[in-house]
Amino acid sequence: MTYLVGVDIGGTFTDCAIVDAKGRLLTTKVPSTPQDFSRGMMDALRAGADALELELDAFCRSIAFLSHGTTVGTNTIIQKKGAKVGLITTKGHEDAIHIMRGSRGYAGRDIRKVVHFPETAKPTPIVPKRLIRGVSERVDCFGEIVVTLNEAQAEAAIRDLVAQGVEAIAICFLWSFRNPRHELRLRELVKKIAPGLFVTCSVDIAPKWGEYERVTATALNAYLGPVMSGYLARIDRTLTDLGYRHGLQIAQCGGGTVPVERAGEAPLLTLDSGPVAGVTASMFLGQAMGDANIITTDMGGTSFDVSIIQGGKPAYSFVSNTDQYEYFLPKVDLQVIGAGGGSLARAHPETRTLTVGPDSAGAFPGPVCYGRGGTVPTVTDAQLVLGYLDPDNFAEGRLKLDVAAATEAIAALGASIGMGAVECAAGICRIVELNMADIIRKVTVEKGFDPRDFVLYAFGGAGPAHAGVFARELGVKKVVVPQRKAASTWCAFGAAAADVLHVLEHTEIMATPVPAGRVNANLERLEKQARKVMKAEGIAGSRQRFEFSLDVRHRGQINEVEVLLPWKRLPTGYEAALRKMFVARYEQLYGKGSALAGAQLEIVVCRLRARALTPRPKLVRARRSSAKIPAQALLRRREIYWPDLKRRRVTPIYDGERLIIGNRLRGPAIVETADTTVVVHPGRTLRLDPLGNFEMTFDR
Amino acid sequence: MNAPLRKLSELSELSRAKFDGRSSGYVPPKKLSISPRLRLHRKWDRTIDPVTFEVVRHALWNVNEEHGATIQRLSGSPVAMYALDLNPSILTEDAEFVYFGPYMQYMSGVTDTQVKWTLENRSENPGIKDGDMFLANDPWVGAAHQMDVMLLCPVFWKGELFCWVTNCLHQYDIGGITPGSFCPSARDAFDEGILIPPIKIVENNEIRRDIEELYLRSSRKPAAVALDFRAQLAGNMTARDRVLALIARYGAATVKGVMKKILDDGERAFLKKLARLPDGVWRDRTYVECCRPGDRGVHQVMLTVRKEGKRLVFENEGTDPQAGGINATYSGWRGAIMVALNELMCWEQYYAVGGALRHVDFNPTPGTLNCADFPASVSTAPVQCMEISLYPAYNVLSKMIHPDPELRRDLMCIGGTSQWPATIFRGIDQWGERYGYILVDPIGGAIGAFSHADGISTGGQARTPICKLPNVEHTEQSFPVLFLYRKEITDSGGAGKWRGGLSAESCFIPHGTERIEQDTLSSGNAIPTSTGMMGGYPGAVNRYRFLRDSNVAARMGLSDLPADIDELEGTAETLQLRQQDFVQNPADVYAVLWSAAGGFGDPLEREPARVAADVDNGDVSMAAAKEIYGVILKNDGTADGDATGKARDAQRRARLERATKPEATPRKLDGKLRFLATDNLAVREHGKALHWACAGCATDLGPLSGNYKERCARDDRPIETSNPVVGDPGRFIDPLPAFRQFCCPSCGRLIENEVARAGDPVLADIALQLK
Repeated sequence: MTYLVGVDIGGTFTDCAIVDAKGRLLTTKVPSTPQDFSRGMMDALRAGADALELELDAFCRSIAFLSHGTTVGTNTIIQKKGAKVGLITTKGHEDAIHIMRGSRGYAGRDIRKVVHFPETAKPTPIVPKRLIRGVSERVDCFGEIVVTLNEAQAEAAIRDLVAQGVEAIAICFLWSFRNPRHELRLRELVKKIAPGLFVTCSVDIAPKWGEYERVTATALNAYLGPVMSGYLARIDRTLTDLGYRHGLQIAQCGGGTVPVERAGEAPLLTLDSGPVAGVTASMFLGQAMGDANIITTDMGGTSFDVSIIQGGKPAYSFVSNTDQYEYFLPKVDLQVIGAGGGSLARAHPETRTLTVGPDSAGAFPGPVCYGRGGTVPTVTDAQLVLGYLDPDNFAEGRLKLDVAAATEAIAALGASIGMGAVECAAGICRIVELNMADIIRKVTVEKGFDPRDFVLYAFGGAGPAHAGVFARELGVKKVVVPQRKAASTWCAFGAAAADVLHVLEHTEIMATPVPAGRVNANLERLEKQARKVMKAEGIAGSRQRFEFSLDVRHRGQINEVEVLLPWKRLPTGYEAALRKMFVARYEQLYGKGSALAGAQLEIVVCRLRARALTPRPKLVRARRSSAKIPAQALLRRREIYWPDLKRRRVTPIYDGERLIIGNRLRGPAIVETADTTVVVHPGRTLRLDPLGNFEMTFDR
Repeated sequence: MNAPLRKLSELSELSRAKFDGRSSGYVPPKKLSISPRLRLHRKWDRTIDPVTFEVVRHALWNVNEEHGATIQRLSGSPVAMYALDLNPSILTEDAEFVYFGPYMQYMSGVTDTQVKWTLENRSENPGIKDGDMFLANDPWVGAAHQMDVMLLCPVFWKGELFCWVTNCLHQYDIGGITPGSFCPSARDAFDEGILIPPIKIVENNEIRRDIEELYLRSSRKPAAVALDFRAQLAGNMTARDRVLALIARYGAATVKGVMKKILDDGERAFLKKLARLPDGVWRDRTYVECCRPGDRGVHQVMLTVRKEGKRLVFENEGTDPQAGGINATYSGWRGAIMVALNELMCWEQYYAVGGALRHVDFNPTPGTLNCADFPASVSTAPVQCMEISLYPAYNVLSKMIHPDPELRRDLMCIGGTSQWPATIFRGIDQWGERYGYILVDPIGGAIGAFSHADGISTGGQARTPICKLPNVEHTEQSFPVLFLYRKEITDSGGAGKWRGGLSAESCFIPHGTERIEQDTLSSGNAIPTSTGMMGGYPGAVNRYRFLRDSNVAARMGLSDLPADIDELEGTAETLQLRQQDFVQNPADVYAVLWSAAGGFGDPLEREPARVAADVDNGDVSMAAAKEIYGVILKNDGTADGDATGKARDAQRRARLERATKPEATPRKLDGKLRFLATDNLAVREHGKALHWACAGCATDLGPLSGNYKERCARDDRPIETSNPVVGDPGRFIDPLPAFRQFCCPSCGRLIENEVARAGDPVLADIALQLK
């Protein structure tokens, strides 16, 4: 038997999804080990081997594909535990990374507070000013060298930084994406002077137009490099020693994987790779289900991540932010809000108002009911008070929940604004659910999509409990809680389902009319480069798939849109067709009539997504189904408060694992699976579909 | 200067003298006069359960956010996307703010007045009906300047006016003698863009073509303006539809009840803050330079805020008469002040300032620089007289809230780019096309010091909290320039116990062109406009530097780039503040530094370790560390505690030796400390009276009825000592400014600084009225 394995290291838990050749799915969940994340990963694999009744090495030998998503990079940045980085840049522009375009890094922060300046300081610099060196050299907007590289200054800068004890060097010169000669030469000099030192050039990680976002990407990559490459090499070695033979793949934020060597050079690609793997998994499942338009929602303890799959393809973004830093990174677009099970509820007696989030109790101290010292009630506490969660069976019984403490905290909160405990708990859930509906509107309606054309996939530990409410609010057709027990380990499953992906970009601002040959030369170069990389990775030509696109905009305007090309090369007279595709995409995103008729277009980026197909998990469609719910699936009945009915009602609780394909439940009902609770409100129907997903639909 | 509080009934806003939006700026009366043909929706729920409230409140906030996003998406213009020179709002039926957006903050203050004017002047003829929208840009009715075009959309429910959704978006060009409609050489408004008092441009959900063509006709870029108009239209329609959907779902009485409760809650929170503060009067005085080419005068701007119980009154009395091309109208002045009011006192209301405004009055003096009468030139208002109206508001409000230890944490010193040093340039670009542009870089600004933390270097302009300046590579792609550097400037941040944020300098040469034609337009190059507070020093002034026939090409050929324009050889030329049509050739180097942020508190009180870290980071020079901060560094770069203590003592003694001392012999007060009026100025009991006292040593600074500065030791120093970047003011202006330092006559602690023209009276910046 061979296996496909995906592992997702999160801040709290490390998840593992194992699919065998027959399509059987096994998941494990173990605590993460922040001291050395590779231990948690091996623990998760060992738990899988145990469940399969195999020795770990025998299991590793039979793995056909192992892919690994990780939040180690993100955590390294947030906890400021990266390397001591030296930055070498064009003389006169040393401060670009500090000036941050004058923006203080508000992206990703609570926009309502941006006018409260005492709370909006810039983040601690990734590279302090004293570790930045300017070197005389200059390339202009045409890509021409107007000042040759001053090698004496360059060598002095490198020696000086090395003497200061830097652990990595980032190199970013102005306009290097138009002419990388000076950056590449500088890298040679670093390798000569300080062999073995981690070094990153901006052209290798972010060959894009705009020095602030490019230098930040470069510096962050260097900041992560020594930490991540060490940890990845350790895992790789351990697995090789255990007999795994196929090359470890690392999930990346573009929606695929890269070989461990590339991840070691470009650890920036792993930022957000965990949540993105959830989108990859949804795309994979969507193909099997025939869902081309999907809203994915991933709700854990602290955050709620939303993304859009439209026409079978994810939405992409090209500028990202982590902890106030903004940088270029081609990735699957995720919108994140601070709304999770741990979101804090607060009452304001004076105005008699109640608010939820965006701050969170996190895993520590966590909700009041965790009994770890949390005193402010959270969404999880509210769910417990309403009866949705089973205090004895939370997280497979690993954590006993304290109902009395949660009730007391919520009762006190409610009393301060004249509400009863249950009413207040129901209010907390409603507020957080409608906040979620609002954020989903942002990624759909505000981007030109109608949620009614979409199916909503709900996963993550806390998602399926709320999806029934926010999905109905949005008017989506149905909710899918994927693969029952995999719902809380969905990102690990996604890592296993991902293809190898290399995103190659060339930035050159070309105003139309531009000869096809000029663009094609760039596409040609990207393809050559991709073939070379993949060949080195041992990927046969037959497995390679290329998808070309261009980022295009109206000259003089800001909005760039990516146009996926139906061609491998632009045909002569391509312009009319390109304009048509551009206008169609532009108006889809920005609204009918928003495209400036007759305006000159500019091609800004040529992009190649080079994929290599990998073994796919098999989704087995059940042959038999039955409407009869097995008696043993009914665990118990419990009194649960239903806001729609405005009262408590004795409600059946089912074991999701014991339900069988074809079973159908009318709300109100609760379905429990490992680590997830699906709340089926009145007016909803839950069905176990032939692929083993829960499908929730709404009464008209 | 120290006039007693006037009765509220005497205020001109209430008397409604001639402030009708035609000759003088429109000041709405307390009770609007609205035609009975227009029925207002006035029924709402007084009791809404907390959950429904929160859900609808959140939805309303999102309606406004989606409104702003829609405009940005559809417009796509650099103005909307980079400078974020737009703002959407939701207002009640009678034009109280429910929400405005986090974009250009100026635009908030000019919105409600325009809606009120429309209610008063358009409800009878042509009438305000369902499906109408009004276009407006008249600064005397309520725009900041002509380019800020508003679109006002009444939202009707069952035949009654339920609320308003509105937006404002800066347009590329709406006419006038200068491309871009920003007309520095305008003689008056007739040289500037078209003026449009609110007109019905959408009627019964149809664009009126005749009106639209009239609107577009005066623009040099009608296609771009038309596209932006559609973006504004779509924004309003989106917001209107969503409000109507909320009404359909929750009921009109509930949605309106939520709006009113947002206002009432904001009002309550604001009153709670006012109740914690003493009554009094706080004043600030600033100056604008060069109102027209060749002007070497200085124009005074005064701001007074009076707090009397539950009421705040802002006044501009004492401001010089309108002049040249720097003016703002009443709405610009009010809008500017509202920015600071929101940021310092209402930030936790998340842009719902309507409740607070119920207790704020504006009492303008017409015919002045910042309440100019028609037809003054006002197209440059946002970067001149609105800036100079806004930044002093940070000072007066900060001093007002300082007595309360909690509110003190919200105060903020004046930020960078407190006057905008414009770089207006044009010619043929590297692609062979004609261009004209204003360098956006100064939007990188700097944020002023706080009462408990340093300001934020290049943290943006406080009035546009979420803007971004373009990358150098963006500017170089679009225009024929090559930047030698863009860097933060050492010592630019105002010194203080907490340092102001540093600003930056951009330096470029022509590239890919033979010549660039330029204009300057600036103020605050001679006299610092980012004055510090409570002993804090000013941030750097604006500075143009121009080096003709330099050796930059030779240096580039040797691959030896300069780190500063001073490292190059050539002929330095002083650029005046409204210099027109000068030519920059490829060998000429141009640099512009925008003003930095003010500091907070006496620099001698700054922790020496912080000064050492500043020197290490290049934020403060060794010289300034010693001379301004009195910090002596050891060879390893750390502060020498003993030597620093001695140096600081010596500096305090030196202050007193130089200073003119008060007549009274200093004595210590031992009465109870009531509160700290500023970081250095205490209010203490003395028998049955209250006295000012040094916060450090309790030296008596006189009875509360007097000006504490008169009991301080006064040390008048050259303006150049206030910040290392300040140069000889005589290059630009005739009047001689001074840096006046007021110290405790006993211990030498710096109580307050003043930047003033030599002959100006001592400013009574604080007058408290305690019971």
